[in-house]
Amino acid sequence: MIEFKKISLNHNGKEIFSNLDLTILKNEKVLIQGKSGIGKTTFLKLLLGFETIDSGTIYFNRQKIDKFHIKNIRKQIFYLSQDIDLKEGPVDNLIEEILEANSIEDPGSRYLNKHLNFLELSPELLKENVSKLSGGERQRIGLLICILLDRPVWLLDEPTSALDNTMKNKIVSYVLEQNKTIVIISHDTVWSKNEKMRIERWK
Amino acid sequence: MGAQDLDFLSLASLLLFLLPVFYINRYLKIAINKSVSTSIIRMCIQLGLVGVYLEFLFKWNSPVLNTVYLLIMITIACQSIIRSCRLKLKLFFLPVFFSLLIPFTTILLFFNGVVIKLENLFDAKYLIPIGGMLLGNSLRSIIIGLTNFYSEIKKNEKVYLYSISLFNNRLHALKPYFIQSFSAAITPIIASMATIGLVSLPGMMTGQILGGSIPFVAIKYQIAIMLSIFYTEYFSTMLAVIFSLKVGFNELDILNKDIFSIKA
Repeated sequence: MIEFKKISLNHNGKEIFSNLDLTILKNEKVLIQGKSGIGKTTFLKLLLGFETIDSGTIYFNRQKIDKFHIKNIRKQIFYLSQDIDLKEGPVDNLIEEILEANSIEDPGSRYLNKHLNFLELSPELLKENVSKLSGGERQRIGLLICILLDRPVWLLDEPTSALDNTMKNKIVSYVLEQNKTIVIISHDTVWSKNEKMRIERWK
Repeated sequence: MGAQDLDFLSLASLLLFLLPVFYINRYLKIAINKSVSTSIIRMCIQLGLVGVYLEFLFKWNSPVLNTVYLLIMITIACQSIIRSCRLKLKLFFLPVFFSLLIPFTTILLFFNGVVIKLENLFDAKYLIPIGGMLLGNSLRSIIIGLTNFYSEIKKNEKVYLYSISLFNNRLHALKPYFIQSFSAAITPIIASMATIGLVSLPGMMTGQILGGSIPFVAIKYQIAIMLSIFYTEYFSTMLAVIFSLKVGFNELDILNKDIFSIKA
């Protein structure tokens, strides 16, 4: 599904990757661990084409990440960035806009409420402005968008850092039972304790 | 009937008021005396030169010469815009040039041909001052538009990239920045149409009245020119942003960092 072949990358003279090889299979759940600054987030950004490599090749579904394939590749990836950098505006407008841009029909209030319930978000929260959300609410709104978009690959950067323990456990079991290819970056031990997880420790 | 001529001595008498200005600046340590002097000197030299070559242009009144003159004006405007936006001239020259040229020529020729119904569309007496007004105003709006657009995206790059990943559509992700910068660029001309006549008499009208036109003619010209300025600003600013996208972003829709002339 995802193949990194001999990837090298330098940032302002600092080496981030040198000859990195990594393969992620379809529906695999991979947890990437390592100290900060080692390039975990950069790794996710490379898949989205937000960073460019110095040498090597990245394949996504046997397609190279280049101008011809990037639209098709991005269409298949849901990315939860660390700060969930949603643009300004009321949450419900934003969700509507995202679904429309992805030609996904309005899921209907029943389906939406089911997930709001699961994520312990009140429907009133959808009327709020994005900037008013707390860290934990932002993370759960991000996950809600993830569920609604239903893309085949999920890249989750610290998805549970601002959640309480009960919520963390709920999210971990939900995420790991999905038939999706999922890459997670997290310092939370709840992820590494799970045996479905393939753990990549970067040093 | 024309305006009364000014002799050079009486024109120079206006410089008297510079004395208190310089004194106050010095006293309050407002460090602008040097730039005030340079600006005034530049203004006099530039306008003096314009006076000389306008006389020349008006005498010859050759369509080719007038067109060449306008193209030179567009080129200078272009350079000035890109420099003020702190963007790289080499990259942005062509996009900005065409974003000025297309609406400018269309509106200007329409103005001369349909509105004033000139027999000679390229008559220097109309073409050059009106062209100058259209250009001068678009210059300001394009500067506001382009500067805002690129600085907002640079400042909010994470949000922009995140929008790319969610919407998977570059134009969709760019839309809020476009709307924001475009409105900022076009608001001043809308505001000045709303207050014109109440707050100030515009320069062109003042000039025309001094030059001997009856006020009603001057007003009709003013309305026509304000509308033309508005349209030119509207389309040139919009095109400037659209045409610049090709150099502003790479093929993976990421903002090119090397478009800025000064590292911020």
